[in-house]
Amino acid sequence: MNVISSQNRRTLIAVLITLLVVCEVIAYVATTPRPQEKFFQLYVLGAKRMAADYYPNNDTDIRLGESVHWYVGVTDNMGNVQLVVIRVKLGNQTIPSPNDTQATPSPAPLVTEFSRFIQNNETWEFPFVWQIVNAVPVDGSTRILELAINDETFELQGPSARDGYNFRLIIELWTWDVESAAVQFGWQADGERRVAWLQLWFNATTSLR
Amino acid sequence: MVAVLAIMSFVAMQPSMVKSQTIETLEPRFGQTLALVHQAESAGATSTEIGALVVLLNNALELYGDALKLTAPDEGQRRAELVAQVDQILMTVENRAADLTALASQRSYTNRVLTYMWGAIAAVLGTILYAFTMSFYRKYRVKRTFQMRVTRK
Repeated sequence: MNVISSQNRRTLIAVLITLLVVCEVIAYVATTPRPQEKFFQLYVLGAKRMAADYYPNNDTDIRLGESVHWYVGVTDNMGNVQLVVIRVKLGNQTIPSPNDTQATPSPAPLVTEFSRFIQNNETWEFPFVWQIVNAVPVDGSTRILELAINDETFELQGPSARDGYNFRLIIELWTWDVESAAVQFGWQADGERRVAWLQLWFNATTSLR
Repeated sequence: MVAVLAIMSFVAMQPSMVKSQTIETLEPRFGQTLALVHQAESAGATSTEIGALVVLLNNALELYGDALKLTAPDEGQRRAELVAQVDQILMTVENRAADLTALASQRSYTNRVLTYMWGAIAAVLGTILYAFTMSFYRKYRVKRTFQMRVTRK
């Protein structure tokens, strides 16, 4: 019968304790979720689902009734389900853009919004087809009165642009804030508010011709 | 008999009267439901389980959007139906999210305990392996020692 010497016993106990610590640390790391950076991605693609061909015939001058095909997408990397609201606003050159540092949205008039619940790591992409339905000249400026987005027409009291130059569609990302129980511009991550927005410029100089 | 029928029909009507919701009260309901879904996610629900809830939430959101578009006075009936449907879907999501939270937290706890147990078992197996290896090594060293030959130089 083999008798383990006291020195061997001590060695074995030391090995057991070391392995126990190592294995339990591995178990802890395996079962504890790693903190991930929380953010959203917001993008607009052109007619061919690429970052190109945003305007028909590559002409930023949009005519009345001319359809412009885009794709708007959002990816949720917040680590949980989010209620996402995409707000589309019509602006001109003088209306302020959203403020990144103060996390305030643009005061440009809202045209429409799209909302959806998306899961973590899920991308929600939808076609965004728009056209100018009605525009009028006002004192040397062009005012867009009706804009159609995805077969729905929206009446606007929107801004005018000098000679029809430098209109822009501002696309803002809003999310449901659980703490304030309201939809807010941007999202809360690591104790600070972050925002995502895009703008695409266009002209409507030939709309009235 | 008539009185019994009247009481029964009144009792049957009660839940629908209690559950009736207006469009204005539904928006915070979405937030409450989302908070319950977050709880289920934190408890460790899988993306497939959460995905099923997200599909229901988006159905409710779509119906809610349709209800918001019905503003004409003659569309009141249709609007009330849509609001009731949204309310029903949200209630389903809330119930499933609560069930999922309980299930997922139990599952996460079991998985955690099992993982730690496997860690302990691996440590014991490692120690036994070490003991056998050392034992064989010592026997080998003793055997080699006895196989040595002393030669004169």
